[in-house]
Amino acid sequence: MTVIESFKMAIDAITANKMRSFLTMLGIIIGIAAVIAILAIGNGATTRITGTFNDLGATTISLSVSNKAGNDAQLTAADLQAIKQADTRVTAISPNYTLAGFAATNNQDEQAIVFGGTPDLQYTNTVMDSTITAGRYFTQAEYDDAAPVAVISVDGAAQLFPNQHSAVGQMITLRSRTTSISVRIIGETQSTVSKYQGAVRRSSFPVYVAIPYATMKLLSINAGGITDVTMKVRSRNDITSVSQSTVRLLETRHDVVGQHLYTARNYLAALDQVDSVLGLFVNFIAAVAAIALIVGGIGVMNIMLVSVTERTREIGTRKALGATTRDILIQFLLEAVILSLIGGLIGLTLGIVLAEVVAGWLGITAHITWQAVILVLLFASAVGVFFGLYPARKAAKLNPIEALRYE
Amino acid sequence: MSLITMQHVVKTYVMGDERLEVLKDVNLTVNPGEFVAIMGPSGSGKSTMMNIMGLLDTFNSGLYTLRDTDVTHLTDNERAHVRNREIGFVFQSFNLMPRMSLLENVALPMVYAGVGRRERQERAAAALTQVGLGDRLDHQPNEISGGQMQRVAIARAIVNRPAVIMADEPTGNLDSKTSVEIVRIFQQLNAAGTTVVMVTHEPDIAQYAKRIISFRDGVIQTDETLKQPQKAGADQ
Ligand SMILES: Nc1ncnc2c1ncn2[C@@H]1O[C@H](COP(=O)(O)OP(=O)(O)O)[C@@H](O)[C@H]1O
Ligand SMILES: [Mg+2]
Repeated sequence: MTVIESFKMAIDAITANKMRSFLTMLGIIIGIAAVIAILAIGNGATTRITGTFNDLGATTISLSVSNKAGNDAQLTAADLQAIKQADTRVTAISPNYTLAGFAATNNQDEQAIVFGGTPDLQYTNTVMDSTITAGRYFTQAEYDDAAPVAVISVDGAAQLFPNQHSAVGQMITLRSRTTSISVRIIGETQSTVSKYQGAVRRSSFPVYVAIPYATMKLLSINAGGITDVTMKVRSRNDITSVSQSTVRLLETRHDVVGQHLYTARNYLAALDQVDSVLGLFVNFIAAVAAIALIVGGIGVMNIMLVSVTERTREIGTRKALGATTRDILIQFLLEAVILSLIGGLIGLTLGIVLAEVVAGWLGITAHITWQAVILVLLFASAVGVFFGLYPARKAAKLNPIEALRYE
Repeated sequence: MSLITMQHVVKTYVMGDERLEVLKDVNLTVNPGEFVAIMGPSGSGKSTMMNIMGLLDTFNSGLYTLRDTDVTHLTDNERAHVRNREIGFVFQSFNLMPRMSLLENVALPMVYAGVGRRERQERAAAALTQVGLGDRLDHQPNEISGGQMQRVAIARAIVNRPAVIMADEPTGNLDSKTSVEIVRIFQQLNAAGTTVVMVTHEPDIAQYAKRIISFRDGVIQTDETLKQPQKAGADQ
């Protein structure tokens, strides 16, 4: 007997009792739908959370100096340059001076967070990011000259200049508790606020401003020595070794080897923790789904056993007409596999729909890979083979005379 | 050369401590072209004999030769193949596949014989025409009468051109008029050269055969050849 014939017989048997076949598949459908939805949502969530962490600094190292450090151990602009030149994996390095003050025009006066740094600040600052939407960032020359220039967040520009398309070229006054300076806006960048705008009310956030570190010294009496530095490395894998070599370099330059005056912090531990929590979550749900699949498989086995009993006379007749043990085995095994596969396909469709809906609620993108689809269908077939084998063997081994006599 | 030769066939069932000897040293020869009726009271071993002849059942000792081949010791697989090619079964309760059309039912033995789809359909249609159902190929078994169902079963039995048709009480579920119609089909097939072995406990049905074998308690009691079998068409 050919596979096509066995296939046709199996389909006939499945369609002969559609409602029962559907109920039999239900376990498989639920199991597969759950697996697909969880994989898709899990992938989407991981991508999203990892992405957010990358924004926040998966490749960021924060350098700080202990307050036990003497004057000779303070960080200098030359130190920063030396660190960057010593290692090509360091892509940006900047002081990270932050001042809470005000930004004002003739008409507006808003709370402001002012950052002071080198031109690399555009890469190291995680609140204002490196995406420049208008104008330009300040240059090394402007940094060296303490030029009165500023880069402002897009949403901040909109707060200060509500009626203008762009704030570039406008003058604003930056005010600290002690003094104020007048600066010209030369560029606008995206910020954490502007990126997620719509989710929050814009005016409840301060205006973000970035200025050269030397200019910051004019605004704040505290901005003398460099105490906090942020640096960027090429990839997450560089973090640990660059952290170590940077601390060593600084210790050597300031002749304080072994005194633990410099600390390099990173977010690796936090990232790893998020990864492992996510992984745990996905594994847990996948285990639940696998149990659902096994329950589904037992359902298939159950119905196949009922079916074998119901069709005992049919099996006897087929054997009398010349069906071999193998013919009967294949017929029933195929029936179980097709039942599981159809259940798998329905579950797959349902799972994709479910993933899209849930991903929509969570505001993430569901990722359904073709590997997952193939894996899931293979798994459904495997469930069919595994749980179909026992009933099929039972059918194949029936004694033809007893089967024919069965009422 | 004989078609079926059985020598000293013994069949024993063991149930607990009890041994039930159902066939006791049976010797039987059936030649090609014969129409044999096997008679006897209920429990005398008729069905057991037929199942052994049809290679559905095994026996404890003795020899069985079918078409010059010793089929005493065959594997399950070999027996399935011999059943498929050499034997056409007709059962008391028809045993049609309920969700298959008449054509598909008749084609089933050819599926197991590996015959191609086209040829299957042609031969199944021809067999159904031969039993007078050529106009109902696409009907379902539940749309036809008992007599018609048994005709379908006969078409299924002959479609693989077997050496012998084996029918166990083929008229057991039919009224007497329909029974005669069925036995007449056997007569026609036999007239065209097919060997028929039929179990029946109805003497008037057995009269249509050419030879009547009587069983009692697992032994052949009488074996007579009829000089003038009943003509099925004659009394209508
Ligand atoms: N599987 C079996 N186990 C035990 N005894 C059986 C079995 N099959 C048949 N028999 C016995 O064998 C005897 C002959 O049965 P059977 O060949 O069916 O008789 P018949 O067809 O002539 O009515 C009966 O006594 C029956 O009870
Ligand atoms: Mg009987």
